[in-house]
Amino acid sequence: MATAEITASALPLTRSERSVICPVTGLRIYAGARALTLANAVAAVLALAAGGTFALLVGLTRTPSVSMLKPEAYYQSLTGHGVAALILWPIFFEVAAMVFASSILLNTRVWSMKLGWTSFAAMIAGTAMLLVSVISGKANVTFTAYPPLIANPMFYLGYIVFAVGVLLAVVNFCMTILLARQERMKNKSLPLLTYGVAVAALLALMGIVAGLVALVPAWLYSMGLIGSVEPIVYRAWFWGLGHTLQYVNVVAMVVAWYGIIALTLRAGPVNQKFSRLAFILYLVFAVPVLGHHFIVDPGLSTSVKVFGASFMGFALGIPSLMHGLAVMGAVESRMRRGGGVTGLFGWIRALDWKHPGIAALGVSLVLFAIGGWSGSAQTTLQLNMLTHNTMWVPAHLHAVVVGGMTLGFMGFAYYLVPILAGRRLFSRRLATIQVYLYGGGLLFMIAMQSWAGIIGVPRRTASIEYGGQAPTSWELPMNLMGVGVTLAALGGLIFILQMVLTLIVGKPTSDPAELVPSASKIPLADPPTLAAATANVGGPNDGGTPDRRLETPGAFSVMTIYVALFLVTWLAYFAYLTLHWAVN
Amino acid sequence: MSETTPTATPPVPDPSESALAPLPGRWARRMPRDEYVFMWIAILLTVVMSAFLVGWIFVSDHNVPTRSKATTPTEFGEQVSSFMAANDAENGVVKVPPGKDAYVMAERYRFYPALVLKVNEPYTIWVSSRDVLHGFSLVGFNRSLNFTVAPGHAYGLRFTPDKTGTYKIVCNEYCGQAHHAMTGTITVEE
Repeated sequence: MATAEITASALPLTRSERSVICPVTGLRIYAGARALTLANAVAAVLALAAGGTFALLVGLTRTPSVSMLKPEAYYQSLTGHGVAALILWPIFFEVAAMVFASSILLNTRVWSMKLGWTSFAAMIAGTAMLLVSVISGKANVTFTAYPPLIANPMFYLGYIVFAVGVLLAVVNFCMTILLARQERMKNKSLPLLTYGVAVAALLALMGIVAGLVALVPAWLYSMGLIGSVEPIVYRAWFWGLGHTLQYVNVVAMVVAWYGIIALTLRAGPVNQKFSRLAFILYLVFAVPVLGHHFIVDPGLSTSVKVFGASFMGFALGIPSLMHGLAVMGAVESRMRRGGGVTGLFGWIRALDWKHPGIAALGVSLVLFAIGGWSGSAQTTLQLNMLTHNTMWVPAHLHAVVVGGMTLGFMGFAYYLVPILAGRRLFSRRLATIQVYLYGGGLLFMIAMQSWAGIIGVPRRTASIEYGGQAPTSWELPMNLMGVGVTLAALGGLIFILQMVLTLIVGKPTSDPAELVPSASKIPLADPPTLAAATANVGGPNDGGTPDRRLETPGAFSVMTIYVALFLVTWLAYFAYLTLHWAVN
Repeated sequence: MSETTPTATPPVPDPSESALAPLPGRWARRMPRDEYVFMWIAILLTVVMSAFLVGWIFVSDHNVPTRSKATTPTEFGEQVSSFMAANDAENGVVKVPPGKDAYVMAERYRFYPALVLKVNEPYTIWVSSRDVLHGFSLVGFNRSLNFTVAPGHAYGLRFTPDKTGTYKIVCNEYCGQAHHAMTGTITVEE
């Protein structure tokens, strides 16, 4: 569209079409895109604050020596925690990422600002309906809302309106990419980050469709317009939403990982084909994996369970393992080639571990690796009997969603927000402390939850007393868990204060070194341009004789050791299974 | 090679290399050896795990129960009543003779009746729900086995108790305001 350029320069620009050049990346940031990204990011942080507050209440109620809330208030907070922390916080952040990855990364204005704000308004309206339902105590059904439990109709409507808002955001995202393609991206591939977000958007689309199939009947049922909802069928469609959404989160987390290293180290993956293939694999395997919610359900055949839960669940490990190698390999390759670092793990030591971005990336990788393992155990047909709906489940999901995703998003937000706001991070030192405090608290909490899960403590229950009949061994891990919860909540609070203070009193600056300081302890040479890298004769790219050396031996070793430990501990779990009653 | 010749940092870095920038045509390069090998390691891990769990179905007596029937709360309620009557239930406790099936109803907020089983004898315990989804979590001796109880479905759990003592059934699927008080009992005797 050559005419677009002419009209844009001939006519006065509307406010949303004004733009500045990003001092860090050289990308063009349109005022509209900036406003929309920041609005969604701020809503995300507020949702996280709500989710975190509920988390503290829930966690301290589950700590027997504190037992903070009465049962009714507990189930209410639990519902609020699930809605705010598992739905609102990630999705608002992902919509911010969608605007960022389509408009800003592609140097294009947002396709329709009206659509953008409409989508934001719908999401806010849905949020309000959900939170009002929860706070008024009319929706104590936990965020899964399995019928025949009934919440007030506004609760389901809140979900539906929110989902429609997200759909509109996905449409705007796709149209912005098409606009960029028309205007300035002929014969070019999307940047890796945009590609990843596009995969996340497609997954979100599939998830939302499944979610509407579950929630619309549940909404009609809650108003008494239809007589019943089959509970297992609802569960299937709900998890078509619920678990697909978790892979939206995983993909967005991986995007945040690549984003952090791109900004703080100017490191890109060694081979983009490998990373993109891994993104595509999520699309292939993510939807059928909802089967793992039904492993111990009646009414489904073993073959469905084995295929939909175990096979698909294991297959989903492949792209995550690949990204683990690609992200670490990108860092390793950058440190070796740009900084001349030698030795198998010299690149790890050369990183500045007091740098909040690298700290967040490292802790996020470790916690996600733990959660990936525990999730694989859960999705294993036979092992699911040991863990279904025990504390093992929150241990898994907090490892991946909080340790992996939330910490990854936090690490990315430490750069995204300063860049977009043009302000220095309020306190970099506090950010580093926050990452380790949050990660350490979570790790301890997860360890205690796993222990509790193995000895059978149920999840989602207001107390574990059972009139004094509960095993006495249940109290110790649950009490210790409270310590982890408190530390993590403190870490979360520091993050929110950091974001708010950065936006309000952060020092205005456009110095790249202040917005995104280098995460390397040693000086790094400029990365080669892509043209130079693709012509990299003698490397893996010349199309001639294959290079016998490993490109990233350190990352390869770390990941291979992880796989070996993964398999051995998984087999050991089967040995543990045989200590239980024979069952079939 | 550019990595050996450091240059002064330009004021606006060239984004053409990173994950942030669009790639020109013909960017797809052959994967480095380690990525290619590792991808196959990951695939192999998946295959090994899948094969192991399928093999386990055939060789082990620790597997997910497969007996399941469609039912209704009324029909299942009648089965529970006749099961209790046939085995002389006292105070909601049924001593189940070896070889006979047991029937347990989950309802807000109890599992009913309580069972007494003989150690090392296999029993099929049918469970269903009168109202909403419940969880059947058999806990004791720091272990647990967990299943879903759904209205409209009877699930036949075939257990062989291996140790005498009192076990609790705890509901672990949220079912309402007194969910945390919902329990049942299975006693295992010599």
